[in-house]
Amino acid sequence: MTDIRLEGLTRRYGSVTALDGLTLDIGGGTVTALLGPSGCGKTTALKLVAGLLDPSGGQVLFDGHDVTDVPAERRGAVMVFQDHRLFPYLSAGDNVAFGLKMRGVPRRQRRREAEAVLERVGLDGLADRHPAELSGGQQQRVALARALILQPEVLLLDEPLANLDAHLREGMRELILDVQRERDLTTVVVTHDQEEAVVLSEDIALLFDGRLHQHGAPRTFFEHPATERTARFFGAANLVAGRRHGDRVHTPLGSLRVPDGTPGGPDVWLTVRPERLVVGDTPAADGQHVQGRVVSSAFLGTRTRATVEVAGVRLTVDVADDALADVGPGSLLTLGLPAEALWTVPREATAGPTPRAADELGPVAASADGTVTSPPDRRTQP
Amino acid sequence: MTAVDARQVQGSSAPAGVAGQPQGTGRSVVVGAMLLLLLAPFVPLVLASLAEGYFFPQVLPDRWSTRAWRIVLDPSGRTWSALVDTVTIGVAVMVLSLVVAIPAGRVLGTRRFRGKRVVELVLLTPVLVPAVAVAIGIHVVFLRLGLAGGIPGVVLAHLIPATPYVILLSAGVFANADLELEAQARSLGASWWRTRLHVTLPLVAPGLAVAALFGFLVSWGQYVLTLVIGGGRVVTLPILLFATASGGDASVTAATALFHSLPAVVLLVATTRVLGGQGFATFGGTR
Amino acid sequence: MMGRTSTVVTHLRRTLRHESVRTWGPLAPALGLVVVLFGGAVGLALLRSLGLLAGGTGAGPSLDAYRRLIADPEFGRSLLLTLHVAVTSTVLAIVLGIGAALLLRRLVRGRQPATTLFQLNLPLPHVVGAVAILALLGQSGLLSRVAAQTGMIEGPASFPALVFDPYAIGIIVQYVWKEVPFIGIVALAILRSTGDELEEAARTLGASPWQRLRHVILPLLLPGVLSAVVIVFAFTFGTFEVPLLLGRSFPAVLPVLAHQRYTDVDLAARPEAMAISVVITVLVLAVVLAGSVLARRTIRQEAR
Repeated sequence: MTDIRLEGLTRRYGSVTALDGLTLDIGGGTVTALLGPSGCGKTTALKLVAGLLDPSGGQVLFDGHDVTDVPAERRGAVMVFQDHRLFPYLSAGDNVAFGLKMRGVPRRQRRREAEAVLERVGLDGLADRHPAELSGGQQQRVALARALILQPEVLLLDEPLANLDAHLREGMRELILDVQRERDLTTVVVTHDQEEAVVLSEDIALLFDGRLHQHGAPRTFFEHPATERTARFFGAANLVAGRRHGDRVHTPLGSLRVPDGTPGGPDVWLTVRPERLVVGDTPAADGQHVQGRVVSSAFLGTRTRATVEVAGVRLTVDVADDALADVGPGSLLTLGLPAEALWTVPREATAGPTPRAADELGPVAASADGTVTSPPDRRTQP
Repeated sequence: MTAVDARQVQGSSAPAGVAGQPQGTGRSVVVGAMLLLLLAPFVPLVLASLAEGYFFPQVLPDRWSTRAWRIVLDPSGRTWSALVDTVTIGVAVMVLSLVVAIPAGRVLGTRRFRGKRVVELVLLTPVLVPAVAVAIGIHVVFLRLGLAGGIPGVVLAHLIPATPYVILLSAGVFANADLELEAQARSLGASWWRTRLHVTLPLVAPGLAVAALFGFLVSWGQYVLTLVIGGGRVVTLPILLFATASGGDASVTAATALFHSLPAVVLLVATTRVLGGQGFATFGGTR
Repeated sequence: MMGRTSTVVTHLRRTLRHESVRTWGPLAPALGLVVVLFGGAVGLALLRSLGLLAGGTGAGPSLDAYRRLIADPEFGRSLLLTLHVAVTSTVLAIVLGIGAALLLRRLVRGRQPATTLFQLNLPLPHVVGAVAILALLGQSGLLSRVAAQTGMIEGPASFPALVFDPYAIGIIVQYVWKEVPFIGIVALAILRSTGDELEEAARTLGASPWQRLRHVILPLLLPGVLSAVVIVFAFTFGTFEVPLLLGRSFPAVLPVLAHQRYTDVDLAARPEAMAISVVITVLVLAVVLAGSVLARRTIRQEAR
């Protein structure tokens, strides 16, 4: 149970700033994900916590103590790497026992403990195998066991599921969460995959361009993103330009009621997740609905994803059961837009990350009623 | 903070700037000293080659002169005729070894088959077995065949250590080349010959050039095989250098030695460009 | 008739496409060249050392040449000298080469040019290296001159004998000078491919700098460096021109002794020259074989 606090943590490589003033509290015994696209600084942050890199500025505190100058080997934070980094000249058992050997634990005891930990990660009997003789999933488990045997206060995982096949991920995820709970380990997971972050962690720190962008519980990122960028990163397929009037947002789809307190000034993006659109002839409880024509649809195994054009705006809709409605191209579809499914994020007409969105929505805005969309060059009022 | 900032990371590889490593300055000094030691033997050569009468105990020459270099570079002199012989033999060795090395290198570099390790070992032994043993063993036969004492015999003898280098280096070249592109070209309708000419050749040419240069250099530096097979009648640069070194003009010896080092420098630059600086590691330079 | 010819052609085509033909066909010229020339040379030396084949004094199969060698004290001294030179230079080259690699690896500024410069000696002809060492360490060489200028010695004769000396210092210096870059570059290549990653892993597992050297760097280097060491040993054992230029003529290293006997005015010494050649070849190949077996075994052992 070690609380971690990062204070203004900064790392520069020459003129490139990989991590820029990251301040973050990581609660003892929790799993926190550092999430972001490649190059956002998340692995740099993890190595700074591990002590494998020296910060250019800022501090790392474990339980309130400044450990910034404590070398990695004495910090008590063990890192598990994405590419497992097993020692190729050591057997699985000796890899697991490596840390104990460094501490001077006698051979016999090392062996015993290594076998116990290997059993814990489901690799009993494989102690004598060499890394090259193990599958990718097994190698990753050995790497985890090698960290766990040291009973670390802090466990740092770099993309723990990224190199695994889909069917191995589930087992690895459960293993990580189980041992984390058993030992109340303060765990930091680095990942580029929002799903992985959501299933592994209680807390997500989203990083863009070396800066902390949004921090909170996984659910908020899906349901209540703070920015357009967060929304897009979490797979928001439907972003409709609009303008707020009280508790309503005027959009090409019409004037729609949104929940109280959604972020953004007068200019907003209205967002709705594809699975939250209600499909069918029966309109939603509050009666907010639109009608559109299906442009294309694709069966995705457990659901059908359709693109529906409504008033010149294309909406992505997930239909759980296509028996409920005809989603073939060309068919008409009624889509319920219940207020609780809607959310807004601020819209900056000329902000850096939005030109793509502006391009996409340009023709829409032009064809829509001029009163509900703003010209792309007008700045948002804060 | 400044200490950290000074550790600039070059490119994407980030070994520098790793936490807890000793500071860079002390390391630079030690490396500098090491490089100086490695280069030290060239210092007296350069000084002597530019001196007029480099007698004990001069450190810097009393009189500077380009005399030795003029002698070495004189087209009618001994060095020049030795150069012509050395280059003739070297080019012949390079071409012949390349001719047998390209097909063999391709097989070794791209195919997996039973006995591959044995083939590699067989090819490596001539590099490892002392050249004296080879020279003495082959000399009498060459005498009988009339090959001793002439350039063709020396070329054949040089092929023994040179060919394995060229083969094993070409194998590496073919192993690293993306020969899937050949299949792509064939499927797009290119003939066998056109594929080789327009697809394979551009892929492997730089690497093969380095391999060929290696073959040339093995011959270029060869001493004992030339001495025994050439029987004193084939005077290459190493033979001449050895002769001047054991009782000749110190300045001319130094200039000859430096002149004799030039292709090595060319090879160094070529390998650093083509193979990323680790080409020599393959066999430890030339023997 | 036509049908028959085409069957033959088809058959020929099939044979040419056969896997073994595709593998061994292109290898044949290369293997032929090496086996005929090199195998022939070594084979002939062996036969003639046994008194077979007339060439010098071929007088029927006998081990006389070997008996004479064993009885000859000069051969014994040569053998010891050769082993001394090879072992000392190889050990020094390993230690210094690995040290150099560890230094170069983490060089902050100018790593690329330093590495390039570091390799300069590798492709140099050995005669050049020997001449350069002579000009540096000889009694009228640069060091001696600097010593004289600074008043440390009075004349060339009072400078310590570093070449033509009984301990073969000059020869060993030349070999180390030439081979340190080789071992260094091999080690550097290995460390570059995986060293940093594994060292990072070891750090987070609590390994101190010394432990990382002992338990990560050295085990990683072992197999590759051992192969390089075999090559260095073979070379330092068998080179001719370097000891000829920098060493004493009595006792001489084995390759020089072989050549001395071969060019002896007394033709009866020729079988001995052949026998020395065979001894050198067998010794070198034995070390190569032992080295590669050892390399494979150490990988296993380190695993324990």
